[in-house]
Amino acid sequence: MQLLVLLGLALLVAGTLAPAFPHRDLTTAISLQAVGIALLGVGGGLVLFGAPAFGAAFGSGLDPTLGIDGLTGFFLATLAVVAAPATIYARGYLVGVARSRALVALGGLFLIALVGLLMARDPSTFLACWELMTLVPAAAILVRRSEAGVRHAVFVYLAVTHLGGAGVWISVLALAHYGAIGDPGALAAQGAGVQALVIVAAIVGFGTKAGLMPLHSWLPRAHPVAPSHVSAVMSGVMIKVALYGLIRVLFEWAGPAPLWAGLVVLGLGLLSALGGVLYALVQHDLKRLLAFHSIENVGIVALGLGASILFASEGDETWAAIAFAAALLHILNHAVFKALLFLAAGAFERALGTLELDRIGGLLRRMPWTGGAFLVGSMAIAGVPPLNGFASEWLTLQALIHVAFGPSLGLGLAGALATAGLAATAALAVFCFVKVVGLVLLGAPRRAEAEAAVEAAPSMRGAPVFLAGCCVALGAAPGLLIPSLMELSPHPQSLTAEPGLSIPGTGSLPSPWLLLGLLAMTGLLWLLRGSRRSAPVPAWACGQRIERSLEWSSAGFTKPLRLVLEAVLRPRREIEAVCERGQLQSVRYRGDVPHLFDTLLYGPVQRGALAGALVARRLQSGSVRAYAAYLLALLLGLLLLMRIGAIG
Amino acid sequence: MTVLAGAIQILGGLVLAPLLPGTIQALKARLQGRRGPSPLQPYRELRRLWAKTLADPQPTTLVYRLAPCVVAAATILALFLVPIAGLSPDWPLGNDAIVLLGLLALARFALAAASWDTGSGFALMGSSRDLTLSVFAEALLVLALILAALPAGSTDLVAMSGGGGGSAIWSEPAHWCAAVAFALVVLVETGRQPIDNPDTHLELTMIHEGPLLEYAGRDLALLEWSAAARHWIFLVVAAGLYLPHWGGFGLQLACLVTAVAALCAALAFTETAQAKMRILRAPALLAGGCLLALVGLISGLVS
Repeated sequence: MQLLVLLGLALLVAGTLAPAFPHRDLTTAISLQAVGIALLGVGGGLVLFGAPAFGAAFGSGLDPTLGIDGLTGFFLATLAVVAAPATIYARGYLVGVARSRALVALGGLFLIALVGLLMARDPSTFLACWELMTLVPAAAILVRRSEAGVRHAVFVYLAVTHLGGAGVWISVLALAHYGAIGDPGALAAQGAGVQALVIVAAIVGFGTKAGLMPLHSWLPRAHPVAPSHVSAVMSGVMIKVALYGLIRVLFEWAGPAPLWAGLVVLGLGLLSALGGVLYALVQHDLKRLLAFHSIENVGIVALGLGASILFASEGDETWAAIAFAAALLHILNHAVFKALLFLAAGAFERALGTLELDRIGGLLRRMPWTGGAFLVGSMAIAGVPPLNGFASEWLTLQALIHVAFGPSLGLGLAGALATAGLAATAALAVFCFVKVVGLVLLGAPRRAEAEAAVEAAPSMRGAPVFLAGCCVALGAAPGLLIPSLMELSPHPQSLTAEPGLSIPGTGSLPSPWLLLGLLAMTGLLWLLRGSRRSAPVPAWACGQRIERSLEWSSAGFTKPLRLVLEAVLRPRREIEAVCERGQLQSVRYRGDVPHLFDTLLYGPVQRGALAGALVARRLQSGSVRAYAAYLLALLLGLLLLMRIGAIG
Repeated sequence: MTVLAGAIQILGGLVLAPLLPGTIQALKARLQGRRGPSPLQPYRELRRLWAKTLADPQPTTLVYRLAPCVVAAATILALFLVPIAGLSPDWPLGNDAIVLLGLLALARFALAAASWDTGSGFALMGSSRDLTLSVFAEALLVLALILAALPAGSTDLVAMSGGGGGSAIWSEPAHWCAAVAFALVVLVETGRQPIDNPDTHLELTMIHEGPLLEYAGRDLALLEWSAAARHWIFLVVAAGLYLPHWGGFGLQLACLVTAVAALCAALAFTETAQAKMRILRAPALLAGGCLLALVGLISGLVS
């Protein structure tokens, strides 16, 4: 066990250093990294499934210590499931890319930072790895591309995550100050004020990094510009690692979280889930759309965590553990299918040179492996049975429904609103991913490049196919994992491990039977249907042929919803008709949905900050006399304060 | 008893389902002063379609050809979940209400994906409207389900049916709100006026019929049967959870038959009395239903 983890760490470090030797092939470095992270994942999985915890325990001292307990084990396993395929995928993805050695080394460093953060058992290692985890992807993005737009995206990413990330520093350092890391009783002795400070700082700090609305502004900018194997790990794991920090603070270090914390997390989760999927629906770029979906899924996880806190504060320990397990299961599931979708999107981008949704089409025929995996991933993220997305959404929905059962009126209403919101989110996700599948995979190719697309290289197609297999397996047997996850809750509960989920108070989710039933029934009907075919016919459109210019676009498909939600989304449209001599010459149409958080929230903040900076700049005149005057004023002020007895 | 309930669940769902839209059409014709087709007309259409050849619009993939089978398979599995007269044999599929929701979402996904595969504007118009309405309908549906699950404290449809039995429940305002909210869900999910007009031949106004336009032969038969089976599922759930039922299996079965017949008559009546509303107005109606359900929840939690 110990050997396994140390070997994994050693291989990961070796794989990160290997690109520095120019005579070595990159395959060696990539294989070392993949094997190293896989070994760490196996070690984490063993601890999750009952092997004794490994290494040091949590402490508030500053000496660096490492260790693995159940929760760390779970996140390490999640990291490995995503990062090992993503690393192998990079082998094919980086062929012909400039500075690929640097990218491979940075990829390894990113993994080391994530592993270090998960295994950290003291505040200094935790915070050091936290900063590293923020900085390395920024470097990876800039090494790959450095146009002005990309630089701006990276700047926003660093600015927002650092401003928000101050919350992480405040909460972790405050916890360390009171000796509360690893000792839940310590903070409770300090009173409710300190606890509130720590909890709010943690929600702001970790929430920014996790992409919880309204702190998400960096996420849809940074994920699309990163290289695909890095965005897979960013979206699949990095934002989940922020949730790991939030879970540690809220559920372990800050003592039993108060009711209001549960309501705040639930509310932010609902906002992120609905807001994320609504804005995803109106995006035109595949990777940007996927980034907004990460916000939605982080919201769903937050709904589970919030429900768990509410249950715990009401004393319902069984459902507190179930809601906690639901959140963790959704973390794993989302990591799997989001990584799949990002990796497949990278392959599409390689084949086409663009990810603009309206200009792809027909890729299922031309890239059957990647396309098929993408279809499975889309169905999983849309939350339709029998895939894994449905399993965790089912469990989260059940938890919220049981919040709605009361007994108190306020919590019941909160639970009902959250349930309705999650149901609407699920329906919107189906809407969104039907659109994506239709525009990317189905129908006729919408441009010449899509017609000429060929299947990706074997290493690039293997990773999505493996992850698609994980989607099916996790969808078929979530019940094998849930009991171990319930043990990780602060109120451990036991449940018998069986593939399906039979939880009292629900009608049970017999997932393996759902999978088998759907497969068998579809097969049976396929046989009954026979294959008597008539001659191929063109699709019918009132006797017209369907031409490229007549094809439905992403905006057209979502138009009814945009109109219904006009008051919320406030879409902009401009129509410009050019008339000459009383004749209409041409019509130009432009429409988009502005991101309201940017225009209404971040815009004023940004303008305020710039105005403040202007004022501050006037103080810095550069003249020595002015600075001498400042010093004198400071001295006089201090003397005055001492005179009236305010200090000293 | 349980065996009989199981038999009605599956055989009834498979065989009797087309009778429901047939009856509604026949009643509607009577109400409008026409003679109209017989209630058995859907069976004749299914028989005719079953003998016809399939169409293969170009360019489509396996997704288009598999969609009718997936839709029908999800609908058949949904039949296993819905108890009859408060009873359901121990199928390995359980009886969870949220799983039912998931299976219907799968059917919706498959059909909408098939419309993208043909690229036909009418199919896409229909499925985009269907998906837009589903956003509000699903929120309303879970709220109505929460209200029905409140007495039993479980989302197991068998337990919910038991919790909604007897006459005492009708003194709770929550139950009345739940019944009205679910009635709106039934209108959306079965595609009836004022939400959708199942009789329309005008493609521009279609919702549920739009994605079916390209299909022919057995594919179309499977989809038409699934639409009929959705009527069966929603009317049986409405009768089993939200309408009066009490007593042993025999009595409950009688209640079920009466309730489903009454619901068919009610649907025929609304279709006659009510014109189709603008599609963009429908979400406001459903949001109103959500508010009503929340009011019901407040009264349920307070009492």
